Amino acid sequence: MAETRRRALITGVAGQDGGYLAEHLLDRGYEVFGLALPGEEVAGGLDDGDHVLRGSLTDSASLEAALRRSGPAEVYNLAAATSVAASFLDPFAAAEVTGLGVLRLLEAVRRVDPTIRLLQATSSEIFAGAEVSPQDERTPLSPRSPYGVAKAFAHQMMSVYRESHGLFAATAILYNHESPRRGLNFVTRKVTDAAARISLGLQEELRLGNLEVSRDWGYAPDYVRAMRLILADDVADDFVVATGEMHSLRELLDIAFSAAGLDWRRHVVSDPDLFRPVEPVHLCGDASKARSHLGWAPSRAFDEVIREMVAADLDRLKGAAPPPPARPGPAGPPASLPRPGGYDAGSSATARRAGPPPDPDAPHGKR
Amino acid sequence: MSRTALITGITGQDGTYLAEHLLAEGYEVHGMVRGQNNPRIALVKQLVPDVRLIEGDLHDQSSLIAALESSQPDEVYNLAAISFVALSFKQAINTGEITGLGVTRMLDAIRLVNAGIRFYQASSSEMFGKVRETPQTELTPFHPRSPYGVAKTYGHHITVNYRESYGIFACSGILFNHESPRRGLEFVSRKITHGAARIKQGLDTQLSLGNLDAQRDWGFAGDYVRAMRLMLQQDVPDDYVVATGETHSVRELLELAFGHAGLRWQDHVVVDERFLRPAEVDMLIGDASKAHRVLGWQPTVSFPELVAMMVESDLRAVSSTAPRATLP
Repeated sequence: MAETRRRALITGVAGQDGGYLAEHLLDRGYEVFGLALPGEEVAGGLDDGDHVLRGSLTDSASLEAALRRSGPAEVYNLAAATSVAASFLDPFAAAEVTGLGVLRLLEAVRRVDPTIRLLQATSSEIFAGAEVSPQDERTPLSPRSPYGVAKAFAHQMMSVYRESHGLFAATAILYNHESPRRGLNFVTRKVTDAAARISLGLQEELRLGNLEVSRDWGYAPDYVRAMRLILADDVADDFVVATGEMHSLRELLDIAFSAAGLDWRRHVVSDPDLFRPVEPVHLCGDASKARSHLGWAPSRAFDEVIREMVAADLDRLKGAAPPPPARPGPAGPPASLPRPGGYDAGSSATARRAGPPPDPDAPHGKR
Repeated sequence: MSRTALITGITGQDGTYLAEHLLAEGYEVHGMVRGQNNPRIALVKQLVPDVRLIEGDLHDQSSLIAALESSQPDEVYNLAAISFVALSFKQAINTGEITGLGVTRMLDAIRLVNAGIRFYQASSSEMFGKVRETPQTELTPFHPRSPYGVAKTYGHHITVNYRESYGIFACSGILFNHESPRRGLEFVSRKITHGAARIKQGLDTQLSLGNLDAQRDWGFAGDYVRAMRLMLQQDVPDDYVVATGETHSVRELLELAFGHAGLRWQDHVVVDERFLRPAEVDMLIGDASKAHRVLGWQPTVSFPELVAMMVESDLRAVSSTAPRATLP
């Protein structure tokens, strides 16, 4: 056991992945620092005084200060403006935070300590227009949203800094990954939350966009394990992190509503207004390289993830529910409970709201 | 009816050529300039006096909205950029802001002011970088190797995105290197022709260069600006490679340029490692078949003609400003 613990800094620590990664690294004996926006609530694990630093990817000085203060061996950049749908409404936020923010972080690392290992959370949205499926690390980038375009910028910039400045700049090309802590503006959580609400009599219907879409949906705690493995490798590289399985929104609805004892066909409305301007068709990841090179493999099947999410939503909502419905949901205890307050920015504020979330959905937003 | 165009980057090489071309085609041309004391404005006034200059900066979206509102263009040509690859390694964030995000600011300004405005984005062969196939077409995957190339790739992608998602008539012209007597002195072609002229006039004895084996597809800027206008006259917006389809090395360029000045380049050229790129791009050769077929575009100036044109111009410029040359 080393005398000084290995230090890590996580940006976007208030998000789903940030929380799981902080826990994972703490478990592995790291000293973990988190970077969060001023005022952002950070739950679990990290001591707000010493280990939660405030700053933003839009502010180079705050990034340098955070690096100097935490003195990390590893930096995980999970901060981004994460909603694809919102990026159509505000392409600048996507560009400034999700795109240029990574460049600011790269420059800050270069100035403060070029030996820092940096992991960038790239998104499968960089392949939204892909003509081949599944995609791997060699698949040409074809983003189809301002969010995806910004993520592509960041991804390519990582490669430039790796090649030209010799930084250990690695990327995890992450396909959708879900959990009970997923933000309510994401389609999986929107569905599991609605299934729970409808079964508890808190909500009557669920409006979604295109029900025909399919995604490669994994389990967030599995994906943060891959991030650490990538930075523990000998050389900086790009790795697709995905399950390689496609499931449709209909399957998701089937599993989630069944878990709440419901038939989704009686509650779900497909609203053309919630369709994306451009819908990716074949987002399915080939994680062979991560499996063979890093020894990584997902631990949860799709239906297990969704059932865990419904169970957590049922548990959370029961306290807020009016008199229980005649037919209780069949869900058992979840495998792991979300922390009170949740990790997602805004989720604690919206968790107890009675109606459906007002935001259009990711990946089903309207522009 | 006469059309109106707004050109960003009017003070650059392409800006003045495009302005001349559009004026000759009967356009009313507005040129966007930035800075209160931009020394290149005088050059624009001298070369294309009929261009109306308006202020604006790709850093500042409200200035773009104001420029669109005051010029009311039918067509916008976005040629402004931090366009020098070497500088982009030193000023990466600024390059991202101007060359990359500046495109979004202009596209969004168009969406707000008049979504019917047609938009041309000056994309670059530097997006291909470490090339996946040769020659490169509109379908070749991008693999940029410099902050400039990454920022240009962002600009290309967001242009396609505004076309697909917001219905803007937005075209991306993927232009391979294009040169002229107006090329900036920091670019290797002009550095060589200017250097040859200075050496010929006895003002210099040596020329320091980076990689002599680097190969590029070099065309004439005056030809390339015609392709820009043609793209915006089509029925549907699309992306086009604009290139000669020929590749030449820096060595060949030296041979032609110094030969035209009656010199042997081997007597004057030294390789300086400071001019080597951190990551060199591979052999860039464009396949402009689509531009030939759809736009009816063809280049008119060959590579030897281009180099001769540039050396002649530099010889004239150098001899008119030079103190009495002391030739051996």
